[in-house]
Amino acid sequence: MDEKKAAILAEIPRLRRYARALLRDRDAADDLVQDSLERALVRMDNWRTGESPRRWLFTIMHHLFIDQVRKVARRGEAALLPLDTSEALSTPAMQAESMASREIIDALQAISPDRRAALVLVAIEGFSYAEAATMLGVPAGTLMSRIARGREELRALLDDQTRRRTIRIVEK
Amino acid sequence: MSARTFTERDIHLALDGELPEDERAAFQAWLDANPDMKAKSLRYSADQFALRNAFAGVLDEEVPSRLTAVVNGEAPPRRKPILQWWRMAAAAALLATVGLGGFLLGTGNLGFAAHDDDRVAEDALAAHVTYIADAAHPVEVSGENPDYLMGWLSKRTGLKLVAPDLAASGFKLVGGRVLPAKHGTAALMLYEDAQGERISVYVTAEGGARSRGTYGPEDGGARAVYWLDQGYACAIVGDLPQERLSAVARDAYKQLLAGAGIVRS
Repeated sequence: MDEKKAAILAEIPRLRRYARALLRDRDAADDLVQDSLERALVRMDNWRTGESPRRWLFTIMHHLFIDQVRKVARRGEAALLPLDTSEALSTPAMQAESMASREIIDALQAISPDRRAALVLVAIEGFSYAEAATMLGVPAGTLMSRIARGREELRALLDDQTRRRTIRIVEK
Repeated sequence: MSARTFTERDIHLALDGELPEDERAAFQAWLDANPDMKAKSLRYSADQFALRNAFAGVLDEEVPSRLTAVVNGEAPPRRKPILQWWRMAAAAALLATVGLGGFLLGTGNLGFAAHDDDRVAEDALAAHVTYIADAAHPVEVSGENPDYLMGWLSKRTGLKLVAPDLAASGFKLVGGRVLPAKHGTAALMLYEDAQGERISVYVTAEGGARSRGTYGPEDGGARAVYWLDQGYACAIVGDLPQERLSAVARDAYKQLLAGAGIVRS
């Protein structure tokens, strides 16, 4: 049991990074991590011996994320959000970000959650297509097209930004 | 080797380490023969790097104790209302729609959070460009009587303002004017040096955002050095070498804060 807990503890930094890439806001991301850890502990028995704790935990977190995105979208809760979503999304996370990082993080937030998750798992977290497809519960072909579409969208958004032809150096 | 033809799909495979070892040389040759595809591959690869870079710091952050507490079976400290991140997820979904829609319509940068600091810097730049070019009427109220000028600007903006003394940098106060701004009114103070070079100091009330930086066109021209802090937003704008502009800006900012009775943390 303690070994399992130690293995879970060791994954927290990676879980936090995945959550941050999905949600941007630091507190919101840590809330997602906390929910995922709570769920993981309840379901410890489902963790098969030999299965990578990372994949197991990432899968739990991803399902939690995507379920809620869908639920919220169905219930139309998005309409209740403050109009200035940009502020809600960006204030707390801003401190240590360079300008280039801020731009790409903004762009990442602007692509669809499914594509964002696929891209982040592979491009940032370094999972193979097979691993990521299993975690997301989609066929490899679907995963591939999400990654390709995600990259295209991301690039298009960044190009759009670049067209403004400005330099911005935010010091911190 | 294989006579397989490559497509854009392979760019993604290669980038994600999914291209079989024995196809890589042929893929590289294909890229070399197709400059468009090569350019695309380079862009995606740079984006990949930027993405990793943007989130690399998270791994070094200290893990919040509430997370380790959950795993250790200790009662986690209470957190803010349950599942707030739902809302973030929804906000992100909303941004996704608005963002791409905006992009497809070509309406500019709707996909990006309109940052307060950018807006302030842009407003300050616009004011600068508009008024310094006006040889005859750059200001509404002259700086000959600074007390009167600053009393007026303070009253109109609702901020406690002093005109920074920039004589040490060779700049003399010409005068000022009031301008519309997002949160009410902004004050613009215009300065000139012996060579006729003009800089402006733009101050307005702003929300809680904290930021500082430099903003301006990539291809030269006036730039804004700005601060958002303590409910103030302040931008010093001029077409000076960056070093000099920064030095003048720091000097002006310090004096503005001191004049407002704010001790910089």
